[in-house]
Amino acid sequence: MKKKRIAAVAAACFMATPVAALVGCAETDETVVLRVSNWEEYIDLGDWDDEEAIDIENPYTGEDSIIGENSVIDDFTEWFNSQDYGFDVRVEYSTFGTNEDLYNQLNLGDVYDLVCPSEYMIMKLLNEGKIQPYSEGFSDQSKETNYYVNNVSRYIDGAEGSIFYENEWNGIAACYMWGTTGFVFNPELVDEDLDDVSACDILINEDYYKSVTVKDNVRDAYFAALSVLFEDRLNEINADTAMSEEQKAEERSDLLNSTDEDTVRAAEELLKKVKENVYSFETDSGKTDMVTGKVKANYQWSGDAVYIMDQADEDETELWYSVPEEGTNLWFDGWVMLKDGIAGNEQKQTAAEAFVNFLSRPDIAVRNMYYIGYTSSIAADEVFNYFDWCYGAVTDEDSEDYYEFDNIYVYDVSYFFGDDSYIYIDMDSLNVEGARLTHDYDDDEYVAGYPVYSGGTISIGRQAFGQYPTQDVIARSVVMRDFGDDLADINQMWINVRCLNVTDININVVIAVTSIVVIMATAIILYRFRFNIFYNRKRK
Amino acid sequence: MTKTFKLRFNRKQLCIPYAAFLILFVICPLLVIVYYAFTNRTGQFTFDNLVLFFTNGNTLGTLLYSLAIAAATTAVCLVIAYPVAYILSRSKFRKKYVLLMLFVLPMWINFTLRITALKEILTAIEANISAYPFLNTVIGMSYDFLPFMILPLYTSLSKLDNSLTEAAADLGANNFTVFMRVILPLSVPGIISGVTMVLLPSMTNYVVLDMLYNSTYIMGSLIGSYFSHFDWNNGSMISLILLIIIFVITLATNRFSDNNETAGRNIL
Repeated sequence: MKKKRIAAVAAACFMATPVAALVGCAETDETVVLRVSNWEEYIDLGDWDDEEAIDIENPYTGEDSIIGENSVIDDFTEWFNSQDYGFDVRVEYSTFGTNEDLYNQLNLGDVYDLVCPSEYMIMKLLNEGKIQPYSEGFSDQSKETNYYVNNVSRYIDGAEGSIFYENEWNGIAACYMWGTTGFVFNPELVDEDLDDVSACDILINEDYYKSVTVKDNVRDAYFAALSVLFEDRLNEINADTAMSEEQKAEERSDLLNSTDEDTVRAAEELLKKVKENVYSFETDSGKTDMVTGKVKANYQWSGDAVYIMDQADEDETELWYSVPEEGTNLWFDGWVMLKDGIAGNEQKQTAAEAFVNFLSRPDIAVRNMYYIGYTSSIAADEVFNYFDWCYGAVTDEDSEDYYEFDNIYVYDVSYFFGDDSYIYIDMDSLNVEGARLTHDYDDDEYVAGYPVYSGGTISIGRQAFGQYPTQDVIARSVVMRDFGDDLADINQMWINVRCLNVTDININVVIAVTSIVVIMATAIILYRFRFNIFYNRKRK
Repeated sequence: MTKTFKLRFNRKQLCIPYAAFLILFVICPLLVIVYYAFTNRTGQFTFDNLVLFFTNGNTLGTLLYSLAIAAATTAVCLVIAYPVAYILSRSKFRKKYVLLMLFVLPMWINFTLRITALKEILTAIEANISAYPFLNTVIGMSYDFLPFMILPLYTSLSKLDNSLTEAAADLGANNFTVFMRVILPLSVPGIISGVTMVLLPSMTNYVVLDMLYNSTYIMGSLIGSYFSHFDWNNGSMISLILLIIIFVITLATNRFSDNNETAGRNIL
């Protein structure tokens, strides 16, 4: 198997060389080069140990476990070239660090066929007319290899009610990973009843002076600032029983997407306070600082939060994840095709769509989830089983995965995986409020003998909660929009926050520094001209 | 009849690779920067960016902040490096290279690794390093740039002729006078080149700043943030002005290092 793959790659490389093109090798015409740009560390690169194999049957390869031997990209090339597409494909894979980097690269003239930016960048690219919509065939559910449309969660992409439908992204983007933003924290270092970590105002809470980190990113910082500014109103909305869910969602969205002059100025003042109070605006140090205990809490994307909790578990530090009670940012990274790259080439478009479909194949989605810690948009049985395999409570005392626990909670993720999707989970890994003892599950042999709880609300939990938050968390989440024309204003706001303004310089510091400079200058001048001044004679 | 074509090798042709490199990677980018600095978003010629630089409290504040960090770093480096370089240049031949090596050795290790290590050391000392951003930045930069100060000082001090100090002592000067009137003036070229090598890079080295959790921008990070926000014009203008500042400083210091013999006597 492996030898064959190497041969295939070598052949593909050879075919792409100019020498082969000069000779006029007929096959070169049939190799399509697909230029893909993705986030760094955002895809399974393979090379797993045998112990890492995920114990779930894989109908797509016929094996009885899911394991990443080769990188997903190599697997795609091999799979595509074995299909009956009439041409071969070679993937040129590159990565970017931030959405802004990607946008800059595109403006500099880099050409990609398929990229994976976040929701607001998709909106921006869409407004600029750079996005090539997916073809009709891509959404054809009758075709078996259309893995995306057949397996994506109806909650994310689908008919009315799905998030993509609300935002009119159907057929424009294909969701890859999604999640929330919240705080990873160390329960031993924060207040006992965890009130402080369940709201964004921890960022300006002086009890946490220099012990919380925020992402060094204007959008996340701005969102957090708005959450603090509108905290009271958001909590009112959440508690209001008279409003319908649609009205609530609309008002939340309006509040947390406001970019008017006054709000931006208020956010600027607030973020200046945040800057004084937080440990740092981190780019990638947050993960290690959390594990080593330098900071008590870290405002993070849920995927990285899961990754951090996993890392900390290995160091035997228990970290938790909380979603702010007033609201959270629901984000997506989606695959979009670019007009500049595809340029009307049908083969290319077919290859790009096949790439997205391959990533959406349930076993590949599971591999990516395992490798990067983020949550895939795919809601197939394999993904659900993987979720259960990771976090489901093991009640069989003879099993090697069994450990002691007292209560079982019925963790319901039906909103994502479809009706009756729940797993049994150790209740100690969640902070449930108002759960009730359920007897309906008494007859289930699997959990017989354990007290089973369900219902209530959860806004704090461990990895399982980080990957698939409960429905009430989702209900109070907001998709952040492109800032549009106000982008420059908000960027300027961020620069104002981060820079030392001349008018902010402490007058005492100015006086002190000036006097030191003057004294030193005088001393040097006196020494230099000492002959002229003191001895009244010329220097020799 | 026809003269055979003879390929004549000229020594000047050895410069061609460097000249090509210079044009491609120094001159061209510089022209691009100048172009962006004097145009606006739509590509029209404008002085707005220049005006904005001098009217915007942020850029001026950041410039002052960078200068403060750079000046503090340079002062710390000078105070630490001068005695070291002096002792090294006076010490016996055999151990002197070992000592010098010890000071240069850290330069063999990538500086981000060194700063990461420093971060842990500082955390152990200060408990919460983000509480003293300015102090930590100066410590980090001094740690990073110290060898650049030691080496030029060492070079100029070891060139110093011993007979000069002996002559001064013979003429009745005490140690302090010998230092002030002979050693210090003669080492001024070393000081100047050391100061240039530390002052200029520490004005823009924002990686150290980021790694030591200083959330306030210096010139380097300000330029970076303009570029990442697609505002290339203002970013270019700041780069250009920074370049001019550096150019002026270099020009002002060049006259000291050019003429080693008389340079020292002119300053004091």
